[in-house]
Amino acid sequence: MVDRFRTWLRRQFRVIGAISRKDFLIFLRYPANAVMSVVEPIMWLVPTYFMGLGFSVNGEAVGFAGFTGTSDYFSFAMLGMFMSSYISAAFWGMGFSVQEDMTLGVLEPNWVTPASRVSLILGRSVIMLLLTTINSIVVLAMGAVLFRVNLTGNVLAAVITVLPMLIALTGLGLGIAGVVLSVRRAGTAIDISNWAVTQLSGATFPVSVLPRPLLAVALALPTTYGFDAVRSILLGTKTMLPLKAEIGIMLASMVGMCAAGYAVFKAFERRCRRQGLLGTH
Amino acid sequence: MGLANAIEIDDLKRTFTRRAPNALARLFTRRRTGTGTNADGGSGAGADSSAEAGPNAAGLANNAKRPNSLVAVDSISFDIRAGEIFGLLGPNGAGKTTTIKMLCTLLEPTSGTARVAGFDIVREPARVRASLGTVLSGERSLYWKLTGRENLDYFAALYDVEPSTAHRRIDDLLTRFELTDKASELVERYSTGMRQRLSIARALLANPPVLLLDEPTAGLDPQSARNLRDVVRKLRDEGHTVLLTTHYMAEADELSDRIAIIDHGRVIALDTPTALKEHIQQLHSVEVEIDRAPDGILDELHSLPLVRGVECVQSSNGHETWTIRVLTENSRQTLDALLDLLRAEGERVLNLRVAEPTLEDVFIALTGKSLRD
Repeated sequence: MVDRFRTWLRRQFRVIGAISRKDFLIFLRYPANAVMSVVEPIMWLVPTYFMGLGFSVNGEAVGFAGFTGTSDYFSFAMLGMFMSSYISAAFWGMGFSVQEDMTLGVLEPNWVTPASRVSLILGRSVIMLLLTTINSIVVLAMGAVLFRVNLTGNVLAAVITVLPMLIALTGLGLGIAGVVLSVRRAGTAIDISNWAVTQLSGATFPVSVLPRPLLAVALALPTTYGFDAVRSILLGTKTMLPLKAEIGIMLASMVGMCAAGYAVFKAFERRCRRQGLLGTH
Repeated sequence: MGLANAIEIDDLKRTFTRRAPNALARLFTRRRTGTGTNADGGSGAGADSSAEAGPNAAGLANNAKRPNSLVAVDSISFDIRAGEIFGLLGPNGAGKTTTIKMLCTLLEPTSGTARVAGFDIVREPARVRASLGTVLSGERSLYWKLTGRENLDYFAALYDVEPSTAHRRIDDLLTRFELTDKASELVERYSTGMRQRLSIARALLANPPVLLLDEPTAGLDPQSARNLRDVVRKLRDEGHTVLLTTHYMAEADELSDRIAIIDHGRVIALDTPTALKEHIQQLHSVEVEIDRAPDGILDELHSLPLVRGVECVQSSNGHETWTIRVLTENSRQTLDALLDLLRAEGERVLNLRVAEPTLEDVFIALTGKSLRD
C-alpha cells in the first residue's frame, strides 16, 4: 500500500517536473517577455511612487500612517504589488493555462496520456510561482535602489507566513482552471476577477478604508490576511487581527480552498467530458 | 495483451446538446435580425460539435427550427481484433472522431460501453489511456516552441516511460521516423509530414498495444502519405492493433484488414475490403467525363432505372473537366439512357468507361451518395 502510494507520488512529481521544464524552456524562447515581466511592474509602480510623494508631508504620509501604523506608503504599496503577483499567477498561470493549451491545440494530446489531469494543471503552477518569485525579487531589489524601499523585518518569517496563502491560491487556480475548461473564452472574466481580488485584498491601500459592504468582502478573502500579516512582519504595520489569528485563517483557507478547488475542477472536467467541450475554443 | 479483441464497442451512443444562447446573445441576435422570436446563437458545445455530429435530429427546440440535440454516434457495436488494422471510414461529420474521442476518454458516451485492452472507458479511464497511443487530427498537437526531442522527452514523462529507458526509446523512435537529424530543431520549423511522424512517435513512446490514428494522412503530400501508410503497416506487423479513421477510400482499402463504413453515426457495413467489394460485384460503375460542371442532372441520373448511386467529382487530370460516376445494376441498359439524358442537357461527353467497382462504389451503393457529399 505504502509502496503503491510512493510510486504514485513519484509519478505525479515526475509529471509536474516535466511540465515545469517544458514551461521554462518555452519561457526562455520568448526572451522579450522575460525582460518585459520585470520592466512592466516598475512601470506600474512609478505613478504610485509619485502619488505617494504628492500626498506626503516632509516625506511622511501622515493620514495613511493613522490607518496602517507606517508612514511609508510606497513600501506598503510595493509589497502589495509583490504579493498580488501571486494572485495573478493563480488566475493567469493556472486558470488561463487551460485556455492557452486549448488555443495551441495541445490540451487533448496532454489529456489522452495516462497522467492525472489534476497533476497536469498543478504542473503549470510550479514554474509560474517560481518565475513570479524570481521576478518579484528583482522588482523589489530595483525598488530598493530606485525608490528607497526599506524592508526591516524578518524575511524568512514572512515567507513561512505566506506559504499557506500560496497553497490556497494554488487550490483557487485549480478551481479556475476547471471553470475555464467550461467557459473557454475566459480572458475577460479572469482579468476582472484577478483585479477584484487583488484590490479587495488591499494591494495598494489598507482595507480598513473600504465602505462596510466592500470591507465584508475583503475580510472574506484569505489573501487580505496574507497581505496584512506579511506587511506587519516586514514593515511593522498594525494588523487587523492578532497575527496568530491571521495565520490560523490562512491555514484554514489553505485546506478549504484546496479541497474546493479540487472539487470544482473535477466537477467541471466531468461536465466537459459529458458535453464534449474539451479541446474546443 | 492476450485478449482476442483489442477494442470492444457495445451499443455506444453519443448525443450532443445544443447550448442555448445566453441572454446577451439572444438580445443581440434579436436586435440584429429584428424578429425577436427565432433567435438561435448556436454557440457552445452543440454548435462546435455539430460539424462532426451529423444531422440525426433527436428533437426540436421549442421556438427554433433546428434540432436541440444531435446524435453523433448512434448505437454502434463492433469488436476490433488484436493485431489488425481496422479502418473507420466515412465522410466528414459521420461520427469517426467522436468515436475516437470516446475511446481515448476525452468524451463520455451518452449510453453504451466500450473496452480498450480489456478496460472500461468510463470506469477505468486511466488504464485505458495507459493502453493507448492516440494521434488526434490537427497538426498543432505538438509544442512548436520545443524541439522534436524535447517534445518526446516531455510526453515520455506523461506516458510514464521509465526515465532509465526513456532516452533510448526516444532515440529509437527518432531513428525509426527519420527525425534524428532534425531532433534538435524547433517543431515550428518542421514540415507537416515531419510533425505527423513526430505525433506518431509520441503515441508509441510507451509502446502501447492499441493505437488510435485519427485521419493520420490528412494534409500530407502523396509521398509523405505513402510513407506513413508503410509505417502503419509495420506497426501492425509488430503486433499493434490500429484503429484508423479516414475519409480516403483508397487508403482504407489499401491499409485495413477490416473496415466499418460509418454514416450519420451508424455503422452501415463492416467487413474486409475484398468482401465489401464482392457484395456489389454485380454492380458496374460507369464513368463519364464531361467538360463542365453538371447543372442539376445528377438527380435525374439517380432516378434512371437500375441506377444505385451517382457521384460527380472534378477530374484530377489537370483539365477543367468533371467525371460523373454512375453505379448501376446493368451498364448496357443504363448506358443508352445515360447518354440520352446527357445529350438532352447539352453536355459534351469527352470520355466514357465501364469500371470494376471500388470501395467508393460500395459507399455509394450503401448510402446512395458520394463520400464527398
